[in-house]
Amino acid sequence: MEEVYVEEFMSPGCVGCPAVREMLEELSGEFRDKLTVEEVDITVDTTRATQYGIMSVPAIAINGILKFVGVPRKEELKKAILEELERGE
Amino acid sequence: MVTKKAERIGVFICHCGMNIAGGLNIEALVESSKQMQGVVFVNENKFCCSEDGQVAVQKAIQDQNLDRVVIAACDPSLHLMTFQRCGEKAGIEPEFVDLIDIRKWTMHGSPHKAAPEQALEKSKNLVELAVKRMRLKRLVPLVEVKTEQSVLVIGGGVAGLEAGLDLADKGYKVHIVERLPTVGGKMALLYKVFPTNDCAPCILAPKTAYANIHPNINLLTNSEVKSVEGYIGNFNIKVIQRPRYIDTEKCTGCGECVEKCPIKMVDNVYSGGMGQRKAIYIPYDQAIPKKAIIDAQNCLYFRKGVCRICEKECPTEAIDFEQQTKTIDMKVGAIIVATGFDEYNPTEKSEFGFGRYGNVITQFQLARLLDIDGPTGGKLLRPTNGREPKSIVMIQCVGSRDKNANDYCSNICCMYALKHAQIIREMVLPDAEIYICYIDMRTTGKGFEEYYRRTRELGILFIRGRPSEIIEESDTGNLLLNVEDPDIGHLLRIKADLVVLSCATIPSEGSEQLSRILGIELDENGFFKEMHPKLRPVETNIRGIYICGAAQGPKDIPDSIIQAKAAASFADAELRKEKIKLPEFMVKARQLNGGGS
Repeated sequence: MEEVYVEEFMSPGCVGCPAVREMLEELSGEFRDKLTVEEVDITVDTTRATQYGIMSVPAIAINGILKFVGVPRKEELKKAILEELERGE
Repeated sequence: MVTKKAERIGVFICHCGMNIAGGLNIEALVESSKQMQGVVFVNENKFCCSEDGQVAVQKAIQDQNLDRVVIAACDPSLHLMTFQRCGEKAGIEPEFVDLIDIRKWTMHGSPHKAAPEQALEKSKNLVELAVKRMRLKRLVPLVEVKTEQSVLVIGGGVAGLEAGLDLADKGYKVHIVERLPTVGGKMALLYKVFPTNDCAPCILAPKTAYANIHPNINLLTNSEVKSVEGYIGNFNIKVIQRPRYIDTEKCTGCGECVEKCPIKMVDNVYSGGMGQRKAIYIPYDQAIPKKAIIDAQNCLYFRKGVCRICEKECPTEAIDFEQQTKTIDMKVGAIIVATGFDEYNPTEKSEFGFGRYGNVITQFQLARLLDIDGPTGGKLLRPTNGREPKSIVMIQCVGSRDKNANDYCSNICCMYALKHAQIIREMVLPDAEIYICYIDMRTTGKGFEEYYRRTRELGILFIRGRPSEIIEESDTGNLLLNVEDPDIGHLLRIKADLVVLSCATIPSEGSEQLSRILGIELDENGFFKEMHPKLRPVETNIRGIYICGAAQGPKDIPDSIIQAKAAASFADAELRKEKIKLPEFMVKARQLNGGGS
C-alpha cells in the first residue's frame, strides 16, 4: 500500500486516548501525506465502533483492520504502519 | 466477490427529499466528489433508501463495475445495513460499502445544523475521508466461531426475569445475576400496580417462582458481575457471590433464626427505612429464594465475637459463619442488562424537608406503608407519632423535569401517585383529604387517562402548582405548604399531616461501574444507552449485549416487559445459528490491555 488510513477510536472520558493521539500526531509528522488519521468518537459514531466490535478505547484500526486495543508502544504502532506500507497490493 | 485493491469507487449523494438538498449545494458536492482519487462514478438520488434508490445503487455497481461504494446520506445506525445488503446483492463485500451522515448538518431540528456553505465544506471533507478509507480498506478475514448456548442476565427484577424466562423456555442456559439477596426487584415491593390495581407480588410471583425451579435457569442472588471479556457468542464472565453465611441447601426459610436474633435495625432496602429487620433476616415472605441471610456488619458475632444464637436455634444447622465470597466463572453467548432503577434521594431538594421533617416521605416509602405485608401491616401512620394522617399532600416531579436535578420526565410518577391516592381513598383512610400538586399530569398509557379521571371522581384534589417550600410546626410535626394554583388564581395554604414526594427515577447504583465492565455506553442521564432511541432501543454499541427495562430509561412494567422480550429475541436470533462469522481481529485481539476508558 502506498498510503495508510488510521482510525483512532476514542471517547471524551478516556484516560489512555490522549497518549494515542499524541503518538499519532508525531507519526503523522514522520509519514506526512502517506498517513491519514481520523479520530472516531465512539459515543458519536457508535455504528463504526460496533462494526469493529470495539469494547474499550483507545483502539486503533489500520486500513480497516483493528490492530490495537489499549495504548500501544509507539514503536509497535510505527511498525504496524510500516508493515502496511510495505504490503503488496 | 471483489477483494482486490479498490480501483473503482462509486459515490452516491442522497437528497433525502429536502432534508439534505434543502441545506447544501448538491451539485457542488457531486463535482468535488468526482475529483477524488479512485472515484469513477458519482450519482445523486432523491431518496437513496427508496426501492428505486437501492436499485440505482445496485445497477451502478454492476454497470460501472464498482468495487467500493460510499453513500452520503443519513445516520449509519439506521441505513448502513440497507446499503451493505445492496452491495452484497450486486456482488461486492458488505464491508466495502460505507454510509456517512451528512444530513446532520442540513436537516431542520438537527442539533448539528450548519449554514449551507459550512454544511457543504463539512460534507466534502467527510466524503473525502470516506472515499480514502474505502480506497485503502482491506477485506477483514472472517472466522467462524461457535456461539455458547447460554445467556447472562444482569438484574433479577421483572425485566430480567422476563428476558431470562423467555430464553430459558427456548432452551438456552440462563444465568440471572442479582445483587440483592432475592429476585423480584422493585416490583415485588410496590404493593399494587396501575392501572389494574393488581397485587404486585401476586402477579410477579408466577415469574419468580418459575425462574426458581426452571431447569435452565441458574439464579445467583447476592452476586455481582466482576469482569467481562470476549465477544458475541463467547463472553467470559466472572461473577462474585457474597456469602449469606447460610447453607441454602439446608435452610428451609422457617424464620426461627430471625425470631431469636437479638439485633434490630432500620431496613433501608425492603421497607425504604419505614420498618426494622434483624441482623439475620429473610427479605420478605415471597422472597425467592426464601432463605435467610446474615448482615455481617450488624451481626454481634461478626462484630464482637459473641452471640451465635441463630446457630443454636436453627433446626437444620444451616448457619455457616465460615462462608467466603465465591468467584464463579461462566461462558455465555449474549448478555442482557436489566438493572432497573433507583428512587432519587430528595434530601438534595432541601425546600421539601425530607430527612429533616419526620412526616415527609417518598412514594416508595408510602408503597411500603400501604402494603398489608409491609412494616405497618397496611396501616398508614405518621412516622412522628404513629397516628393516622387526616390530610395528605403529594408533590410531583421531585428531582424530575428540574434543571437543577434531572432534566427528564420520570414517566411513572404521575401514575403511581394516582394509584396511591386511590388506595388511600378506597381502602385505607376514606376520609383523609388528599391533594396532588403537579406541573402536568402525564397519563399516556393504555387505560391511564381513564384511571386519572377515576381518581378525580374519587374526590382527590388536584392543584396545578407545587409548593416552593414546606415548613414544619415543631410542636406537632404538621407541615405547612403555600401553593399557587393558576387554575383558580389563588394562593392556597394547606396544613398537611403527611407529605409524599414523587421522586425521580434515576439509574440504579453501580450503573457506571457496570458500563465500564461491559464496555457499553451510558446516556447523558446515566441510563444505559441504546443503539438508536427510536429504532434500535435494546441494542447497544457492543454486539451481543442488550438492555431492557428501566436500565435503559424510566418506564413502567408493561414497557419493561416488552423490552425484555425484545432483548431476549435479539439474543436468540444471534445465538440460535450456533455458529457466527466474526472479523478475525475481534476473535484474536481480546487482550483488552492498556489504560482505556
